[in-house]
Amino acid sequence: MGVLVAHRLLQSVVVVLGVTLISFIALHAGGDPTYLFVSERATAEEIALVRQALGFDRPLPVQYLSFVADLARGDFGTSLSYRQPAIDIVLGAFPATIELAVFAFVIAIALAIPLGVVAALNRGTAVDGSITILGLLGQSIPNFWMGIMMILFFGLHLRWFPISGHVPFLLPLLNGDLATAFGNLPRTIYFLVMPGVAVATYSLARNTRLVRSSMLEVLGQDYVRTARAKGLAEHVVVVHHALRNAWLPVVTMIGLEFGFLLGGVVVTETVFSYPGIGRLLFNAINQRDIPLVQAGVILLAANFILLNTVVDLVYARLDPRVTLARRR
Amino acid sequence: MNTRGRDTRRLWRSLRAAKWPMLALLVLMVVAVVAAFGPWLAPFDPARQSIGSRLAEPMADVQGVTHWLGSDVLGRDVLSRLLYGARISLLVGLAAIAVGGVIGIVAGLLAGYFGGWVDDVTMRLADMQLAFPFILLAIMFLVVLGPGVGNLILVLGIGQWVTYARIVRAETLSLREKEFVEAARALGDSTGSILFRTILPNIVAPLTVIASFNVASVILTEASLSFLGLGVPPSVPTWGSMLAESRDTLLANKWWLAVFPGLAIMLTVLSFNILGDWLRDVLDPRLRDR
Amino acid sequence: MKLRYLVALAAGLAIVGAAAVMMMRPTGPRAASTIVVGLSADIATFEPANISSRDNMNIAHHIFASLFTLGADGTHVPNLARELAISDDGLAYTYTLREGLTCHDGEALTAEDVAYTFTRIANPANKFTGNAPGFVFSSIGFRSAEALDPGRVRITIARKNPIAFGLLTEISIHCKDSYEKMTLDQAATAPVGSGPYRLVSWTRGSEIVLEKTAASAAAYDRIVWRIIPEASTRAAELMAGNVDIIANVAPDQIAAINQSGVATVQSITSTRRMFVGFNQAEQFGQTPGGRAIRDPKVRRALQYAVDVPTICRQLLQIECQRATGLVNPVNAVKALSPYPFEPATAERLLDEAGWPRVAGKMRFALTLQAGRGRYLNDVNVVQAIGQYLRDAGVDVTVELLEWASVFQPLLRTRTAGPLFFMGTGGGLWSPIYDMNDLARVESGTNYTNWSDARWFSRWDALTDAATPEDMRRLVDEMLQVFYDDGPWLHLYFQPDFYGVSSRVDWQARPDERIYAYDARPKG
Repeated sequence: MGVLVAHRLLQSVVVVLGVTLISFIALHAGGDPTYLFVSERATAEEIALVRQALGFDRPLPVQYLSFVADLARGDFGTSLSYRQPAIDIVLGAFPATIELAVFAFVIAIALAIPLGVVAALNRGTAVDGSITILGLLGQSIPNFWMGIMMILFFGLHLRWFPISGHVPFLLPLLNGDLATAFGNLPRTIYFLVMPGVAVATYSLARNTRLVRSSMLEVLGQDYVRTARAKGLAEHVVVVHHALRNAWLPVVTMIGLEFGFLLGGVVVTETVFSYPGIGRLLFNAINQRDIPLVQAGVILLAANFILLNTVVDLVYARLDPRVTLARRR
Repeated sequence: MNTRGRDTRRLWRSLRAAKWPMLALLVLMVVAVVAAFGPWLAPFDPARQSIGSRLAEPMADVQGVTHWLGSDVLGRDVLSRLLYGARISLLVGLAAIAVGGVIGIVAGLLAGYFGGWVDDVTMRLADMQLAFPFILLAIMFLVVLGPGVGNLILVLGIGQWVTYARIVRAETLSLREKEFVEAARALGDSTGSILFRTILPNIVAPLTVIASFNVASVILTEASLSFLGLGVPPSVPTWGSMLAESRDTLLANKWWLAVFPGLAIMLTVLSFNILGDWLRDVLDPRLRDR
Repeated sequence: MKLRYLVALAAGLAIVGAAAVMMMRPTGPRAASTIVVGLSADIATFEPANISSRDNMNIAHHIFASLFTLGADGTHVPNLARELAISDDGLAYTYTLREGLTCHDGEALTAEDVAYTFTRIANPANKFTGNAPGFVFSSIGFRSAEALDPGRVRITIARKNPIAFGLLTEISIHCKDSYEKMTLDQAATAPVGSGPYRLVSWTRGSEIVLEKTAASAAAYDRIVWRIIPEASTRAAELMAGNVDIIANVAPDQIAAINQSGVATVQSITSTRRMFVGFNQAEQFGQTPGGRAIRDPKVRRALQYAVDVPTICRQLLQIECQRATGLVNPVNAVKALSPYPFEPATAERLLDEAGWPRVAGKMRFALTLQAGRGRYLNDVNVVQAIGQYLRDAGVDVTVELLEWASVFQPLLRTRTAGPLFFMGTGGGLWSPIYDMNDLARVESGTNYTNWSDARWFSRWDALTDAATPEDMRRLVDEMLQVFYDDGPWLHLYFQPDFYGVSSRVDWQARPDERIYAYDARPKG
């Protein structure tokens, strides 16, 4: 087990470094970013001074290696636009995105299971038909469009939900301010509904269809028929036998799911003015705030790896046929 | 191989029996025809601006000219842009799949067949790509490389390869030890020949399924990138960029700017998804967890 | 699990959810003493010396005060200082401060603090990169600042400058004791100013909250600045009554906002001069198109090819009068009338200049570069201009580039082109401020690399002009040259659209500054 963990750790470090290398190349591919950090009417001398101050006059490999060396010491650098430690800014925006991703995740999984089960149990009926159609539609709508439509209809026209903004829950919680955190929680959820649905739609649709087809396959199996023949109540059949086995493909998706949801987050955060890491990094990339982008990218990569490791462990427990070393 | 012919006929028969996939195929054929013959079908030059007759409603007569689906913010005909847009949206979608497919298939074949460090490196690269949201990677490269159809195809394609690589690798692993591959090796076939002429044809089925789902996803991603300002240049019409451009006028009830491209995207993507579902059910039920 | 149970569960959840939603809906209007402003971009810092964006400066201006301010009409208004005396040689500016001034932490604000502020900005060790050290200080040639006595401070500059007094209004004053104690990091997030508001909280990416100080005469106790990047979302918030003032309203949303009954759109022509530049740099002279635009006759011909009033009316939703030069109308040469839209004249002049249509099609080719999303409706305006020029026989390819990291570097190195679209901020308080972009051939702001001697030779005489009449005469002469043979395709002064809620009484300014401390509740 220890060897496995060490192996995983090494793999993770390689992946994270690889990710930073890709970002580094991508961000420097357009040439010298100094122009974005001087005032609009700066003189040539000023520009040269700033270039030197920011270290952009060094050869590229030197810049990258010095970045990695700093990283090894735990120094993520200073954001070029905010003049604050990059890691602080990124950690400040991350909780909001986690809230959004978790909320969307819950919708995408928690709603998908009952919907998929209902569809499978009522196969061929109108119920199944409508759930399937909604599922297909959900996978066919661009999510920014869905977001804007929701704002105009539910936010502006019906005034059911707030149009934009965010009430923090996780950040006060992590800071130890439990009173504020739990006091905010209802409003946090209220502000999360529309953006969460926008982010979750594609996944919810896909997962519903996934659960449905898993259930269908399992329901046709011999042991289910046996259980039914034995006279077991329907809900026992469904929950204890069928559902438990249908779980597995869903679990495999969870690790990728989070990363996938994070992908939809950039667009949604922009539409709903949600102050999360997606928007932060989008702006940082546009402004070539390289330390900030790297800090964000590292955080996201580390998060992804952590999540997948947890998922692998859970998967190993759920399905004894699987060992941790198995590569899917 | 004779079985190919029989398989295809069987496929065709079961397709005709299934309502929805047949309809989906029909829709996609219409889209393909439009994409191919768009320039001849379009009533106007899609780039022709006429700011005097901007935001005309569908079927409204403006200075003697009728735009069937209305005109956009610069007075360009929506129908013509939709028809030209079919070509480009489809081109971007299919080309991205091709790029991603080629890279992914080669990577998967090599990783599955040779194993060892080739496999390790490939899987590490795949992990790196998955480790952070594709859209950020796309943004980084597009911000720096600049907008343009070529860059867009490249970026979208690179986002795809991992999906193909994984499938191909898994299949190659299981096929590697099969008899007919052993036979080919014994006969002295080169590695390349083994990979591409012996193993690959057996993987085509699952790949087709994946590809059909991925075209849908690429079209949607192109729309999101246009929304962020990173898609094609504004004069080039794609359904995604038309939809993205429509958002400033939504409040003013210029519904036709959003509804028509939106419907086009939805119908096309829906059709690909339905067809993909059906293909998967027929060809390879093992792929259910895609 | 039977279907029935599931349905019951779902129904139960729906009812609970709806009840929760009902409970959380905001009941009634917001606190009457809070005003909410919607911004499109986040701010980076509260250290004024590092600020270069207009949005950022707008907020900082509530927290910090300056010696004098500029009114919306360009008048020079006393603020922390009550008097300014300029020496005869124009090198020494002596400000007399008011009595009893304090900073937010209670420290008394005297001449010593003013001198400290200026010296701190100029200190290279601080590595400030904002508008103050970059543009203001280098334009005036800042030399030194010293306190003559607790009530008077003298700023010394390198050369006589008729617009220095206006530029100096951009400098935010710090108190020495509080800023000496703070590191630069702390200064960015914990500002101590002497303005009408103090900073309460800053949630990055989300909102900034300001609170009125005891000494302030402003009407609103709190100002909340909300960051809402997406234009439709901003407008939706305004129409839902959650936001009171928004900037950058898209022209196509104006009608919807005005019809909402909750807010109206104020349109004001700003001082920002929009133009298409003809880049005269050597590198562009290699192609036929590049050579063509070096001929003033060709440039003049192209003026007739673009229908600016229609662009304004259709794409910007305002009636505008085309610019005749780079100076704001109030200070421009009244006798000059704008170039009309006469495509036939354009064609004739191009033929006469020696550029006929080749085989009945195009005359020469040019690339028109622009950034995207920086200026009002720029994407559409640039494409429309491209179409007009193509109609006149110029094979124009429009290139829309990402503003900050692709287009701006081209502008900085003066290599954008051969045609490029941009706008530079101007002022109402002096024509020379507007003309200052072209003070020297090698100025960083001479983006077109123009070098007409008739303009640049008069510049020094302008600075040394003995009387206002002499100055005006020189200005008129220079502007005539610019009108006839200048490097700009004259366009318009950019309109700004502000959405203002009907519960607020606030007047938009033409200089893109948003001062919420001037707003008051209506009725």
